[in-house]
Amino acid sequence: MKPGDLLRLAVSRLGTGKLRTGLTMLGVIIGVASVVALVSVGQGATSGINSRLEGLGTNLLSITPGATTTGATRGAFGSATTLTTEDATALTTLPDVAGVAPELTSSHLIAVGSQNETTSVIGTTPAYPLVFAYEMWRGSFLTQASVDHSLRVAVLGNTTASNLGLGASSIGSTVYISGLPFQVVGIMQPKGGVGFQNPDDEVLIPVTTARDLFVGGDSVRTIGVSVASQADMNTVTAEITSVLDQRHGIGAGGTPDFTVTSQTQLLSTVGSISTLLTVLLAGIASISLIVGGIGIMNIMLVSVRERTREIGIRKAIGARGRDVMLQFLFEALLLSVSGGFIGILVGVAASAVIAVLAGWAFTFNPVTVAVSVIFSLIVGVIFGVWPASQAARLDPVVALRYE
Amino acid sequence: MSEAIITLERVSRVYDTGKVLVPALEDVDLTIERGEFVAIVGPSGSGKSTMMNILGCLDRPTAGRYVLDGTPVEELDDNGLAAVRSRSIGFVFQSYNLLPRTSAIENVAAPLAYQGVGRKERLARAQEALERLGLGERLHHQPTELSGGQQQRVGIARAIVTEPALLLADEPTGNLDSHAGAEVIDLFRQLHATGRTIVLITHDVDVAVAADRQIHIRDGRIAA
Repeated sequence: MKPGDLLRLAVSRLGTGKLRTGLTMLGVIIGVASVVALVSVGQGATSGINSRLEGLGTNLLSITPGATTTGATRGAFGSATTLTTEDATALTTLPDVAGVAPELTSSHLIAVGSQNETTSVIGTTPAYPLVFAYEMWRGSFLTQASVDHSLRVAVLGNTTASNLGLGASSIGSTVYISGLPFQVVGIMQPKGGVGFQNPDDEVLIPVTTARDLFVGGDSVRTIGVSVASQADMNTVTAEITSVLDQRHGIGAGGTPDFTVTSQTQLLSTVGSISTLLTVLLAGIASISLIVGGIGIMNIMLVSVRERTREIGIRKAIGARGRDVMLQFLFEALLLSVSGGFIGILVGVAASAVIAVLAGWAFTFNPVTVAVSVIFSLIVGVIFGVWPASQAARLDPVVALRYE
Repeated sequence: MSEAIITLERVSRVYDTGKVLVPALEDVDLTIERGEFVAIVGPSGSGKSTMMNILGCLDRPTAGRYVLDGTPVEELDDNGLAAVRSRSIGFVFQSYNLLPRTSAIENVAAPLAYQGVGRKERLARAQEALERLGLGERLHHQPTELSGGQQQRVGIARAIVTEPALLLADEPTGNLDSHAGAEVIDLFRQLHATGRTIVLITHDVDVAVAADRQIHIRDGRIAA
């Protein structure tokens, strides 16, 4: 029998039991749609996270304190209090460094009139917007003079400002941080969250003011360093390490009490995690595709049983085993492949909707689609061959007598 | 002019039930010549169904030799038998055995598809065969929309559409009333008149008399 004839037979057969055909296909549709959607979601999330991380500044080096070791007990990462504002000042003299911004962080209640919220109050220097890629919306950022004189001035993150009901006209007004009055000198542009932390919900004050009024010490949580050129990242990392080693009295072979992390390291870590997640999601989704394939096999086995007599007739009028085999195989393939195509449409639609809801760019991956089509084809063959060969092997004498 | 189309030499068919061997045909010798109209007559259990399966190449003899239209059939594998059925045999069944949910013309065209005939030619030849049997108005009817007599005529059209060397009919009137049955027998006489070889298998002596020659089979052996 010719392929065209086989296809016509399969189409007319599947057309006669539309409910059964639809339900059988549904398994494959769900399988393929979930593979397509989940892979697309995984990739969309990855690129969304990446673009926001890049928004933090790609030339950023973060210096964090290392762990303390007291006797045999190793403290948590970042528990050391060895990093100071003086370290930050020392780093500003390095060549190829565009800016250094320490973060002296504490949490306080901010109040304006009847509005109040508790948020991070970060003591820093004028380099902060450059290092962490912020733009001003209204007013200006902290000046060197305000740092030098420990002025009680504050710059608000966009979210903090709107939470407190402050707007464009609020520059020069007074907010109370832990009851102490500060003058608002600027409000920053929103940057958008990475998800786990909102970078727009913070209050920035001069590092000296924070040290004197709130922290009571000199240890900083982070020092952000902006490198002038991306090409100099490794050089600058080495320079920072040597300066800090020297300042902290760490000799050759000693364990440093700080860590220098680059944004690219963070990006590649996040990248590998999200790739792993995408593969995991796709793996889970392919299980449902296999379940769909088993559904096809089930229905094909029932079909062979029901149509035993038809198979006998076809053999009597000249069908070879191969003709019968191909007839049933074509039906299984038609089920799985058309299910696959519908699944792709559903999956692409679903991932577009999810992308819009989640607010990241919709990514359409032709590779996923091609793989899904091939996969559903393979499912059709794998789960169709056995029933089809059952049909092909039927003895025509027995099949013709079958009621 | 007398040319054998079927030659059976000492053909036996023994069924192996696992415990005992049941002989259904024993040492049957038979020759049927081209253009003959033969009835094989016997009561149920006589071995005539086995005879029909062997003659129709649906089954192989366990011993003996069967030559159909010049082809020694007992040597063929399953695909070889299918090819012989496709090329040389047209079946007419008691219960018509039309393909369900398939129109008359598609039913008649089906054997041609297994010969690799193109769709256009298939449909043309199927239509011609149906028209010859007076079913020109019923081409696109489903089997369920046809009477028993009409269904059997579709079955006969399907059997002759490939111009087979042998037309093999198994109780073709068994499911029909006497009027429709007589019409079918009449059709066989007409087909025989055009030179076709027909083997009619039946238990009904009244039907068998339509044939030119009657072969009686009893207990797996030819009786007369």
